Amino acid sequence: MFSDLSVQKEGSSLLCRPASEDQGPVFERTSLAYSQCSERYRVGERSFSRQYAHIYAARLMQMRPLLSERAQQKWGSDVVIKKLCDLETAEQCCIVGTLFKRMDLQPSILKEISEEVGSSAKFTPHIESSYWIVLLTTFFFLALQHNLLPQPARAKYIHESDELILEDELQRIKLEGKIDKDKCVTGSVIAVYGAERNDGKFTVEDFCTADLPLQKARPPLDSDRFVLLASGLGLGSTHADSMLGLQLLVDMVTGQLGDLGEQSGAATISRVLLAGNLLSQNTQDKDASTKAKYLTKKTQAGSVDAIRLLDELLLQLVASVPVDVMPGQYDPTNYTLPQQPLHRCMFPLSSVYPTLQLASNPYHASIDGVRFLGTSGQNVCDIQRYSSRDSHLEILEETLRLRHLAPTAPDTLGCYPFYQKDPFILEECPHVYFSGNAPTFDSKLIKGPDGQEVLLVTVPEFSSTQIACLVNLRTLHCEPISFSAFSADEDEESEMNVSH
Amino acid sequence: MTTKRRLITDSFKVVKRSRKGGKREKSPTPPPSPQKEADRIREEELEKLRQFDLDWSFGPCTGISRLQRWERAKLHGLNPPEEIRDLLLQTHADPEYNLSLWSGYPL
Repeated sequence: MFSDLSVQKEGSSLLCRPASEDQGPVFERTSLAYSQCSERYRVGERSFSRQYAHIYAARLMQMRPLLSERAQQKWGSDVVIKKLCDLETAEQCCIVGTLFKRMDLQPSILKEISEEVGSSAKFTPHIESSYWIVLLTTFFFLALQHNLLPQPARAKYIHESDELILEDELQRIKLEGKIDKDKCVTGSVIAVYGAERNDGKFTVEDFCTADLPLQKARPPLDSDRFVLLASGLGLGSTHADSMLGLQLLVDMVTGQLGDLGEQSGAATISRVLLAGNLLSQNTQDKDASTKAKYLTKKTQAGSVDAIRLLDELLLQLVASVPVDVMPGQYDPTNYTLPQQPLHRCMFPLSSVYPTLQLASNPYHASIDGVRFLGTSGQNVCDIQRYSSRDSHLEILEETLRLRHLAPTAPDTLGCYPFYQKDPFILEECPHVYFSGNAPTFDSKLIKGPDGQEVLLVTVPEFSSTQIACLVNLRTLHCEPISFSAFSADEDEESEMNVSH
Repeated sequence: MTTKRRLITDSFKVVKRSRKGGKREKSPTPPPSPQKEADRIREEELEKLRQFDLDWSFGPCTGISRLQRWERAKLHGLNPPEEIRDLLLQTHADPEYNLSLWSGYPL
C-alpha cells in the first residue's frame, strides 16, 4: 500500500548528504485513462414550470420492471404482482410503489401558517390549486405580520407518530407490519409482500429493494495507482486551523514533502477528487439579502476571497496532477441537485490548465476503467435527518441497495424538476461509491448478489478532521491519510503526523 | 282606432321564386362545406388527444407537451399509441394539439 511504499525505500535519504550534484531522480506521475460520464447530470434548458409529480412518475416507471423482477426472484415466479386499484382484502400479493412517510415534524410552510392563522381560517384540503396560491399568499402576508417564526431546525425529524404510506400511480395505502418506518425514507421505490386487512391497511410480511445494478468488470491493473479523495476544505471560514493541513496535503500530493520514498509514493497518486464544500458555510452571508442596499453597497461577498484562495490552491495542484472539483452545498453554484460545475471564470489562474476538471455533483467518471460515483453528501445528510440511521456509511449502502442516489429529492432535498427520466437512478453499478462531507472517515467493500464489488467511502470533512483518503485502483482498498498538525488527543504524538 | 295592421306584402307582392326542387336535391348530395368537415375532423383528433391526456398510465400530463409525454411513455416501454405521435408530428405548430388539456390553467 501507499504507506509501505514510503517506508520501504531507504528511509533516511533526508538525513544524508546529497548524493550528487544533479537534481536527483524524477518520479513520473502515472497518468490514467479518464472519461467523465456525467452528461445525465447536466441540465440544459432550465424550466421550472413543471410540477414534481413527473419525477415521481418517471421514477416509478423506471423502477417498476426492476422491482417486479426482484420480487419474482425473492418470492417465486408465481407471485402475484398487483396495482393498488386491483387489490382485494386478505389476498396475499406483492405491490410495487413509492414510499411516502408522513411525518409530523417535517417542516411545512402550510403547517406553519395554518397553526398561526388556524383560528381564523380552517384549512380544507381539497381546494383547487389556483385558490391555494391565493390563500398561500394571503397567509404568507398574514404570517409576516404575525412575526411567525419558522419551525425549529432539528437534527432528526422522525417521531413515533410517523406513518408509512405506499403509493402507486393511482392510489395509496398505509403500511404496517414487518417494515421499520424509521429506517425508510420518502421517495424510495420498493416492493412489499403481504395482504390488505379489513381496516384498509396493508400488512407487510416482507419487502425488497431493487438492489445493486449490474457491474462492468474492472480491468486488472499491474501496479498500485491511487486516487485521492478529499471534501469539505472549508476555505474562508473564520478559524483557519485547517490551512496548515491543507497546505501539507497539497505538498504531499505534488511531491514536495518527505524523502525519495514518499515522493515516489506521491507519484502514484494519479488523480485528486475534491468532493464539495470547498468553501465554508461562513462565506454565505445570509444578512446581505435582507439588509438595505445602501448598507451593503461597498461590502464584498465573503465567497470572493475564499474563491481566490481556492484558485491559488488549485493552481499548485493542477500544475502537477489532474484535479476534479465537485461543488457542494455551500459552493457558488446552483443549490438544487444536480449541482452544475463551478464556472471556469472563477478560477482565472488554474483554469488555464487542462488538468482542472470542473465536475458536477453527483459525479460520475471512469478512471482507468474504475467507475467512480458519488456526491458531496447532501443526499446522505438529508436521509440522516429524516430516518433513524446515523452512520453515513450505512446510509450510503442503503442508497445503493435502493438503486437511487437521492430518494428524498424532491421531497426534502432540492432537485431540478425532471420529467423524462430520473437521473438519480443508478443504471450501472459503480466500483467506488462515495459521499463527501461526512463527520468521520469510513469505508467498506461490499459484494452484490451478481458478483458486484463496490467500495463504499465516506469522505470526511477536511476542515474538521484533516483527513483525506486514498483509493487504490488496483485492489479497491481505501486508507485514510491524516494531516493534522496538532492532534486533538494529548497522548497522540504531537508532531506532524502524516500517518496512515 | 283600429288601424289595420298592414303587412309588407300588401305593398310588395310576395314573389316566390320557384326553384323547381333544385335546392332540395342539392342539400343531401354534395358534401357539407369543407369547413365543417375540417372542424369535425379536428374535433375528433382533439378528442383522441384528450383521451391520451387522461390515460393515467402514461404519467401526469401537466407542464409538458403531449409529444414529450408520449416520448417519455415510449422510453419507459409503456407502448403509447403510434397514432397519437403521428398526429402530433403533423400538427406540431398548433398549441391546441401540442399542449395538454390543462395547459390553459395556471399551475
